[in-house]
Amino acid sequence: MDNKSVILIIEDEKGIANFISAILKANDYKVIKADSGKDGISMAASYSPDLILLDLGLPDMDGIDVLKNIREWTNIPVVVVSARGHEREKVEALDLGADDYITKPFGTSELLARIRTGIRHSEKHMGGNLLAPSSLTVGEFRIDFDKRLVSVAGKAVHLTPIEYKIIVLLSQNIGKVLTHDFIIKEVWGPYTNEIQALRVNMANIRRKIEENPAEPQYIVTQVGVGYRMVEELEK
Amino acid sequence: MVDLRDMRPNPDDILEDLFGNEKNRKGRLEIFFGYAAGVGKTYAMLDDAQEQIKCGVDVLVGYIEQHTRPETIELMAGLPILPPKIVEYRKIQLNEFDLDAALKRKPELVLVDELAHTNAPGMRNKKRYQDIEELLNAGIDVFTTLNVQHLESLNDIVQNITRINVQETIPDKLFNEADKVRLIDIEPDELLRRFENGKIYRPERTEKALEHFFTKENLRLLREIATRKAANRISHDNQNEPRLSQKMANIKLLVCISASPSSAKCIRWTERTAEAFRAPWTAVYVETMESDSLTDLEKRSIRENLALAERLGAEIVTLNGYDVATVIAEYAKLSGITNIVIGKSRNRKTIGNLFKPSLEDKLITLLSSIEIHIIPGNVVANKNTLSKRKRIRIGQNLFWSWQDGLKTLGLLIGSTLLSLLLQSLNISDQNIIMVYILSVLIISRVTTGYLYGIIASGLTVLIFNYFFTVPYYTLHAIQEGYPITFIIMLLVALITSALTVRIKTQARLAVEREHRTEVLYEINKKLLASADLQSTITLINDYMAQIFGRSAIFYAQDPMENITPTFLQSPLDSDASFLLSEDERAVAHWVFMNKKSAGAGTDTLMGAGAFYMPIVSQGKVLGVIGLSCSNGNLSQNNRLFLRIITSQLEMALERHYLSNEQRRASIESEKEKLRSNLLRGISHDLRTPLTGILGASSAILENGTALDKETQDTLVANIKEDAQWLIRMVENLLSVTRINEGPMNVRKTPEAAEEIVAEAISRIRKRFSSRKITVKVPNELLLVPMDGTLIEQVIINLLENAVKHSPERSTIEVDVRKTKNQAVFEVSDQGSGISDQDYPYLFESYVPDGKRSTDSSRGMGIGLSICKSIVNAHNGKIEAENKKNGGAIFRFTLPLEGSEDNG
Repeated sequence: MDNKSVILIIEDEKGIANFISAILKANDYKVIKADSGKDGISMAASYSPDLILLDLGLPDMDGIDVLKNIREWTNIPVVVVSARGHEREKVEALDLGADDYITKPFGTSELLARIRTGIRHSEKHMGGNLLAPSSLTVGEFRIDFDKRLVSVAGKAVHLTPIEYKIIVLLSQNIGKVLTHDFIIKEVWGPYTNEIQALRVNMANIRRKIEENPAEPQYIVTQVGVGYRMVEELEK
Repeated sequence: MVDLRDMRPNPDDILEDLFGNEKNRKGRLEIFFGYAAGVGKTYAMLDDAQEQIKCGVDVLVGYIEQHTRPETIELMAGLPILPPKIVEYRKIQLNEFDLDAALKRKPELVLVDELAHTNAPGMRNKKRYQDIEELLNAGIDVFTTLNVQHLESLNDIVQNITRINVQETIPDKLFNEADKVRLIDIEPDELLRRFENGKIYRPERTEKALEHFFTKENLRLLREIATRKAANRISHDNQNEPRLSQKMANIKLLVCISASPSSAKCIRWTERTAEAFRAPWTAVYVETMESDSLTDLEKRSIRENLALAERLGAEIVTLNGYDVATVIAEYAKLSGITNIVIGKSRNRKTIGNLFKPSLEDKLITLLSSIEIHIIPGNVVANKNTLSKRKRIRIGQNLFWSWQDGLKTLGLLIGSTLLSLLLQSLNISDQNIIMVYILSVLIISRVTTGYLYGIIASGLTVLIFNYFFTVPYYTLHAIQEGYPITFIIMLLVALITSALTVRIKTQARLAVEREHRTEVLYEINKKLLASADLQSTITLINDYMAQIFGRSAIFYAQDPMENITPTFLQSPLDSDASFLLSEDERAVAHWVFMNKKSAGAGTDTLMGAGAFYMPIVSQGKVLGVIGLSCSNGNLSQNNRLFLRIITSQLEMALERHYLSNEQRRASIESEKEKLRSNLLRGISHDLRTPLTGILGASSAILENGTALDKETQDTLVANIKEDAQWLIRMVENLLSVTRINEGPMNVRKTPEAAEEIVAEAISRIRKRFSSRKITVKVPNELLLVPMDGTLIEQVIINLLENAVKHSPERSTIEVDVRKTKNQAVFEVSDQGSGISDQDYPYLFESYVPDGKRSTDSSRGMGIGLSICKSIVNAHNGKIEAENKKNGGAIFRFTLPLEGSEDNG
């Protein structure tokens, strides 16, 4: 049995499906394709792929419904493909259990990065009791979870408890986008609407850890959706 | 190049669409028409329905009478049947057509038997034909059955033939406007045979019916009427209408309505005649001073007669005046009436009326050129009411009041004293007579009614006789001339008193009329002055409460669309907050949908607490007005007045709607212009990269091996570049579609300015990784209400513009600042700056040919114009200028307030 990861592409546009599968094949993934929601669901069930790339605009059913259906019975990572300007759709998909999204049009590197992150997170899932790492480093940014210490270029950064909570949450899901609602719920608890507070905290975090808050390196904004902590610095 | 102008929607089409949505398709009505029960209408109807269902029409049997014969029942096999609604009335269970269920089910075709049926009390509509009108309005086709005796206009004729008073009638309008009428006809002999076999009624009823109705002669006559009616319909359909109406244009009928029951006969006669000539007709009711003294019964019968005339399609006019004939004659002359119809009852010729010329005589005298039709009335019916009315009239004019009595007495004593004085001065009898006549005149003037005038007339004669004729202080008159003097004096006194009373009454009527005209004028003036819809509505409610003393409610839209109606509680009325209840709203909704009055005092939804009237203009309901009826229903007069007011209101509302419509249309056309300019602007730009992609890709596909690796890579790189350009263009275009609904549609949420800037810069960096961009943001977090995606697009466009127009190694600066109440975003470059030639067109989407600078021939030609649209939609400002030390600076500001959502 070869060790290639299997990616299911649910996409009705032949051209896009072709080019995605070409990229993936070239990068040592095994690819299966479905061109409708129904086929996609049944193929997800029969092949049990390592990751699903789901286009939200499908001819036979709403992509969101496909996602709901899949999430009823499996935790296979799902990366949603959606167009720019459909931010609400993305947020909805993420809140319904999609692991990540990618905006059309996308480049090769972006696609591969999303897929890598998606598969890695699911491996963590499957691993179950894998001990959480005691530290995390991205570029010059470092978190020591045991000491509850955050530092940039070796200098310790003083964070408030809330700020620390946000950073830890993002780092636990490093590479994944977290919606505003998700972060708020995790940090402040349910039944609150602290989007303003989240923005203020995020601005403060950036001023503490980023060189220029208008050009953040570590925590990037996904306008209209949420925040993401990057796994590796862009060159 | 495709001429895009042709693709622009025609503004007329847009308007058409706006109206078109409201104009629902009306259902078609097909009537199966027969001359008596048992001719086979229901059978034919079901037969046809079977045919329809075979053609795939969604048929529903709404209601079929219970006494239907077995053969007919058999025909219902296979048709879906709506279960009847069971209504309990006086402990009897009645089956009724379930209108709401039918409307809910919404089939294409509904079968409802017996058009003329009267619904059980408690149903929404009084009559079944109203149910059917609702079905038609809902766009459902209807098959129904009808017998000739149920037609309103033929009602009296049939009654004459059969001697049976048919209570259930339907307005002729329904019959005339039906899309199809199918005459179901069989020989009377055959019908009688069916009848005797008990096929029509159950045996116990058969005998009774046979005696009264089903005689061969009756049937033959009914058949004739029915056939003729159907034939009339056909001949109308076939005739060349415009020519006919031209020819008959000069005929206009007028029917006079009184409280007499024979009026109904006149109305029906007039309707038939008008129908035959296709002429318009008017029903006139003249209010005289007698009108106040009518009994309730008479008032009701006048109301009913007016309602009947209205149902039959007459124009209703109420006139005021002392003399009926004069008033009618005046009206007829003014409105070009050619024929007048009046009813005449024989019992009018009482002794009292012997010398009074009859109405028709007076009319003939006054109007020599107008034809007068006299319809004989029913003799017996109104004898009672007439004498009753007389009693009341006498009662009213001859009532006694001590105050007036004292006045009379005082004046008589005064004039007697004056006369005694005159006599002592030896002034002659004639002058004394004058003094007395003067006193009678004054008495008539200052008292109410005829009584004092008459008493005074008698008394003056007696007093004159007693004091001033020889022998004095007796009632004897010796001189020969005196009896004549007495008689003349009495007559003069009587006539003067009668005249004075009449003048007073007329003055009162005139004042009333004057008041109404004044109110109307005032309303009209205020309506014209009112600037917007809401003030118009408030104004009308005020007037309603003021004029009618009732609480008023006004719906400017469909009451079911969760709008808040304008409600006004009148101080004179009892608590009318029930008008706001759900039930009343439903009634108003019905009125809105059916374009008909309903509620208290009407035939529809009479259980409602208020009277509702739609305001209809050109087939479109502009609003519904409701008047509380908790203190009694509206009188016919009030309703007429209300109608006049609503017609004023109609115009005012229409004016508002039209101006709104116009505004919307002009906005629409403005938007359209913008869009088409935009399309024209980019269509050229789009073709260039597409040609490039097509060429490069086909070059690779067709000459794959022949090309060296380097050339291939270049071609592929070109494709990528062009495609990226196209994507950016499309994203810009999508931004435009997001804002083209106008400023109100930008969804603003507070966003951190730095995050938006960062996102934009990171996207630009991906494309132009070699360019140096510096960013400055304020130290404080700056939250700006905006649509993040759109503002990001603005920044991207500005950055891209800067990248394009500045040298490769120079720096682009982005600066975000906060001023007092706005956020300022600046993008500056170190390029050549903006040329004077370009400056005026910088933010225009379409630049006149030849004036466009070369480097934008395939640049972001529309980028800046989109920036402008987006910033404007945020109520911000965008501007550009050249820096002193070279390079251009683009600056836009966004207001910090006005966020719709602070959450």
